[in-house]
Amino acid sequence: MEHGRAMPHKETQLTMTALIELRNVTKDYGNFRALSNVDLTIRPGITGLLGPNGAGKSTLIKVLLGLVRITVGDGHVLGFSIRTSADQIRTHIGYMPEDDCYVHGLSGIESVQMIAQLSRFPATEALRRGHEILDFCGMGQERYRLVETYSTGMRQKLRFAMAIVHDPKLLILDEPTSGLDPEEREAMLNRIRILARQFAKSVILCTHILPDVQVVCDNVVILAGGSVRVSDSLDELCRMPNPSMTVTLSGNRDAYRDRLTAKGVQSEVMSLRQLRVFGEVAVLNEPLWSAATESGCIVRGLSPSKNSLEQIFLAAVREVQSANP
Amino acid sequence: MPIHNLGYREWKGELQSTSTRWFVVADIGIRRAWQSAWLRRMMFFAWVPGVVMGFMIFTYEQSAKQGGEVQDIMSAGAMAMVTYESPELIYRRIKQERILTGSRASIGEERHIFWSSLLLILFRRSQPFLLIPIVAVIAPPMISQDFRSRAFLLYFSRPLTKVQYIIGKAATISLYLLCVTMFPALLLYFVGVLLSPDISVLSATWDLPLRVILASFMIVIPCTALSLMLSSLTKESRYASFAWFAVWIFGHLTYVVIRSVANPGDSSMVQSLSLYETFNDLSSWILDPKLGVTHIETRFILLAVLTAVCTAVLYRRVSAPMEV
Repeated sequence: MEHGRAMPHKETQLTMTALIELRNVTKDYGNFRALSNVDLTIRPGITGLLGPNGAGKSTLIKVLLGLVRITVGDGHVLGFSIRTSADQIRTHIGYMPEDDCYVHGLSGIESVQMIAQLSRFPATEALRRGHEILDFCGMGQERYRLVETYSTGMRQKLRFAMAIVHDPKLLILDEPTSGLDPEEREAMLNRIRILARQFAKSVILCTHILPDVQVVCDNVVILAGGSVRVSDSLDELCRMPNPSMTVTLSGNRDAYRDRLTAKGVQSEVMSLRQLRVFGEVAVLNEPLWSAATESGCIVRGLSPSKNSLEQIFLAAVREVQSANP
Repeated sequence: MPIHNLGYREWKGELQSTSTRWFVVADIGIRRAWQSAWLRRMMFFAWVPGVVMGFMIFTYEQSAKQGGEVQDIMSAGAMAMVTYESPELIYRRIKQERILTGSRASIGEERHIFWSSLLLILFRRSQPFLLIPIVAVIAPPMISQDFRSRAFLLYFSRPLTKVQYIIGKAATISLYLLCVTMFPALLLYFVGVLLSPDISVLSATWDLPLRVILASFMIVIPCTALSLMLSSLTKESRYASFAWFAVWIFGHLTYVVIRSVANPGDSSMVQSLSLYETFNDLSSWILDPKLGVTHIETRFILLAVLTAVCTAVLYRRVSAPMEV
């Protein structure tokens, strides 16, 4: 019998600070190059995997799961080689596919039990664990119905349950919130947060819904044209090249702006009540408040300006499009 | 939310051996197939011939105490069903041989002939007609439905290899086929042993269970490979069903037509067109070598090639979805 927490061999434990390490990975399907010289390091935490359609996200996931053989390169997932230890990798990864997939003729609980058994759980334990996980996913008595009769949202929750039933170290979630109503979407994101923050699970969140990434992810990887365009922490990416603050005002905006200019602080108008003020927070602190007092305005909000994820995403994609018109 | 909800909990139990994973696929397949009412009905009928023949063995063994007349009639009837000759003719031949030799053959020898004839009837006359529809119910959705519902993503994202997946699926079909072929035949044999007047029956017929097992596997393995391959070629299970019936019906019809039109002297190659005839000849050769079936190696090679090709295509088809 093997314990549920099998560890990779000593040699690869050295690189465990990185969850995933890919070096020069290329994957060709015949004449089509799906992944091109991908160098990628993903550290523990929640990582958003973004990219336009056909960017190579699905292929990258298949490579990580060891489902397809890479043409060139090498890599490790959780310390196991993607070339030689696909079985071990799949034991420790929970994968939630984007596609609507289910085993015909099984109920929800039977499906989860089957997946747990395939992950080498004993039958009785798989059933117990299945119920526990379906409770966690907010599924009630519908677990006894055939999966074919489920709504899109219920299937989504079931796939999530199947992905986490064997307590994986790493979760790969492909579009986990698509097709969910706002309440369910929030609940799903909450579950992801709980798993990551309370149970130290690492998550790769592959999605087109950028606000989801902005809300839950620590790191972001953007794929386009089969190669990695951006890979960094979300905070780093969203930081503006020139530091600035966004000031939300009530009162005479122009008078406030004039006072700032008089104090040597540059600014630009963002909206009727918002200004972007350029400079470091420590330097801006005094002139911002004194200008408000002098102009009779009230500062309602003050926050560091950030790049939006959408801007970053579009910039990365356009870069590829302009390179390959 | 249930009131006993404990939230998420980590799991620290012990994992099972990797060798049991195919069994999970087989278990699911067996349970899913058993949901079909048609399958349950057919499985019930599959055991009826065994019970009827068990009664015939009982009658045969009881008549042994009162002389040989009833035994001779029953032997002639059973052999007639195997050799397609007139039972009257066979009966006369038995009597004639007895006059010529001046004595009866040993009871053990006669018993062996009668029992193997009954087993052959089971393999040639009753079970194939149940085997074909049973496979048509179980096998077609086996892989085609997994393709359609994209279940392969669930299977292969787990530590399950393609070979284990195929073994699991094959085990499902094989089990049901063995329930139609091997198990009723073995039951028939053991009923015969239990109803026999003395234990000497074992020494006369010890080889029959082994022959039954061999004959069953000779049928089950190619049928399983062929039906799974057909299932893997389509996403629509009904097409796989049509193809399964077509292989049996059109193969046999082609054989019958060619034989009636061309009347080939050596029909072994033409006979190979019909799976029914091929299996018949093989089981005849295995269960009763005295029947004189010729060109048996051609049938063996044909079935070996069929099984190998089907398995190769099946493996390729199962691997295909991941390469898209």
